[in-house]
Amino acid sequence: MNGALKSLASSVGGAVLAIAETIGGAVTLLFRILRALFPPRYDAEGVWRSFYNVGVKSYPIVVMTALFVGAIMVIQTAFYVKKTGATGIIGYGVGFSVFAEIGPILIGLMFSGRVGANNTAELGTMVVTEQVDALRALAIDPLPYLVVPRFLAMLGMLTLLMVLGDLFAIVGAALTAQLLVGFHWRVLVADLLQSRLLDEFTMGLVKAACFGISISCISCYFGLAVRGGATGVGRAVNNSVVSNATAIFVIDFVVGYLYSL
Amino acid sequence: MNASTTNFFEAIGAPVVDIARAWGSMFGCGLRTLRAIAMARIAWREVIHQSYLIGNRSVPFITVTLGFLGMISVYQVAMQIKQIIPDFTMLGPAFIQIMIREFAPTITGLMIATRVGSGIAAEIGSMTVTEQVDALRMCNADPIVYLIVPRAIACMVMVLMLSIYAVLVSTISGMLMANGAFDINMRTFLSLQLTNGDDIVIGAVKALAYGFSIPIIAGNAGLTTSGGSEGVGWATTRAVVSTSFAVVVLDFLISAAGYIFT
Amino acid sequence: MSGDAVIVCKGVGKRYGRKWIVRDIDLEVRAGELLGLIGPGGHGKSVLLRLLAGLATPDEGEVRVRGKNLADIDPFELAELRREYGYLFQNYALFDFMSVADNVAFPLRQAGGVEEPEIARRVKERLEQLGLGEALDRFPSELSGGMKKRVGMARATIGEPAIVLYDDPSAGLDPVTSSKIFRLVRTMHHSQDDVASVVVSHDIDRMKVICDRYVMIFEGKVLFDGPEEAIEGADPMVGKFFFGSLGQSSGAS
Repeated sequence: MNGALKSLASSVGGAVLAIAETIGGAVTLLFRILRALFPPRYDAEGVWRSFYNVGVKSYPIVVMTALFVGAIMVIQTAFYVKKTGATGIIGYGVGFSVFAEIGPILIGLMFSGRVGANNTAELGTMVVTEQVDALRALAIDPLPYLVVPRFLAMLGMLTLLMVLGDLFAIVGAALTAQLLVGFHWRVLVADLLQSRLLDEFTMGLVKAACFGISISCISCYFGLAVRGGATGVGRAVNNSVVSNATAIFVIDFVVGYLYSL
Repeated sequence: MNASTTNFFEAIGAPVVDIARAWGSMFGCGLRTLRAIAMARIAWREVIHQSYLIGNRSVPFITVTLGFLGMISVYQVAMQIKQIIPDFTMLGPAFIQIMIREFAPTITGLMIATRVGSGIAAEIGSMTVTEQVDALRMCNADPIVYLIVPRAIACMVMVLMLSIYAVLVSTISGMLMANGAFDINMRTFLSLQLTNGDDIVIGAVKALAYGFSIPIIAGNAGLTTSGGSEGVGWATTRAVVSTSFAVVVLDFLISAAGYIFT
Repeated sequence: MSGDAVIVCKGVGKRYGRKWIVRDIDLEVRAGELLGLIGPGGHGKSVLLRLLAGLATPDEGEVRVRGKNLADIDPFELAELRREYGYLFQNYALFDFMSVADNVAFPLRQAGGVEEPEIARRVKERLEQLGLGEALDRFPSELSGGMKKRVGMARATIGEPAIVLYDDPSAGLDPVTSSKIFRLVRTMHHSQDDVASVVVSHDIDRMKVICDRYVMIFEGKVLFDGPEEAIEGADPMVGKFFFGSLGQSSGAS
């Protein structure tokens, strides 16, 4: 085996190990969270504080993103309508793609960037400034105190925000249809509502809930595992957002596949 | 005007002023970068180095994300088609067209915004708080020319290349899904009959626009970092959101322009 | 021994948000003198030094260097003036992606007009003078704090600038290394004629040995300006800081 091949093999092996370590760490954290939930053993007041923090931080970006997602999907569908003349599909096409696929993915990515990255930086800073050690020294387990509230808040908030996001995506779609495409907004909304997209809508919410779980576990895992001062925090944030994005696409696939069985 | 109304107007006005200032510094940074490129003040060796850094670590990331996206999109659309008319001949061509025009560049842009945007903000942010940026200024080395320009050029080139790669990955994974789950002939799937020059131009323009804006926004977040090493963390997280959102907004603007002019 | 004024500040003020960090500062820096900018930490010394270098722009008043107002000269004139500056940063600010030799050579390469062999010779000479002859090809991350400070000094002085600003040269160093660094500041100051040096520090005991004149900044204002002999007649606060407990406690930290 020559040098180049050896270094390729070792870098591939290293990458596989790193991925396995991340998945292992995040899943272990998930089990520990679940064990803390049944029977409930966590900081109840912290849960409300977390809900508030997560919601306030993320709702503007979710609303803005949703408006644009609706608008973009109207334009994309309108391209087909222009080519085929089949105006009947515009409401269905927008609703299907936004509710089932593009809405959850883009809102999930934005949420991961806003809340997940922030969470990793926050926990990471607490670790490097030894605040987490201080908790341990006071015999306070950081898990129910720091992690469980964030887990519940992200799970609940992202699911709620997905409903809000779907709503605003329709608003964005209606506005764009009316102003740019020259398609009456009422026709679009009526078509969309008559398209029987309840399955797609609930699938989007299930995806959102799963994203909430994965984003909280991954971002907390990387935050608590920070080593090496301030540069360590930067690296952890980077790793956290990359892992979250990957997880979002994998989960999107798995949920989408299982839902149609 | 009494004190409480003053406070009220300040509370309303302060975020507006902050946002206006942030946009101003961002556009200023973009213009100065363009001017430096126009004046050909480019360190090509650094461009190549940055291209390598961006491309090298992003390929596996794009492979996984676009691979899964390609499979699930084909799967879900095919399930819908199956319920109405079991005619899959247009599935492949339509899928390839929308990948080229919309999803390959946009999802690639979002992935690069996440991965590279946060990296650039962290790197330049820590140079700012350790006064390395000031040291560059004192040596008459413009931080824009020195730090942002090479990253902007490298990122434009790499987002374009990675978008092409993304089209390939998603098409192959979608084709395998179509063939495996719905028995669609691979040749029927692999057809460019719906794709025309406009789609390719729109896709390429998107990729270049994302590639230019990501390092500008992330680099500007890094250069305006304050508050020590903790500030670097916040600059990094801010960069992830602003670069991702910029990709979404640019996607809308370019799609709209594409719709009107084609 | 001090000559013409090189930098003149008139009524300079700088604020962050609503809080004035420094205000109403009148100050002259003269050729050939080693000026100590003293005062407790967090009272605006470092900000003032950044204003003197044009790294920060005043919100009030003006900073003139050789008669030119830093705030309204064009970029080319600013670049011209910057060539006369050397700046030692508090956190070293060495470029971590360059070797020690490249770091020190950077100002010369950036200014242009000097051939590579000449650059290499001058870099080597300056680093040897500072006791760093061995470190040429090493990277900043491999060096100790005192070594990084000396590399920073080499980079600040390699272009033989007429104005050298030292921002807290003993920050983060142990007492023995601090004394060594201050001796080197003096050596650098006297290695050329008519250099104007400004040193920011709260380390009074070590400053006493090297400075010609002191300016004390207290709560963002100039509380004292003059040589050591004039302290007797000044505000009692100055004497307390200079000879008493204030200086001692912060010097030992």
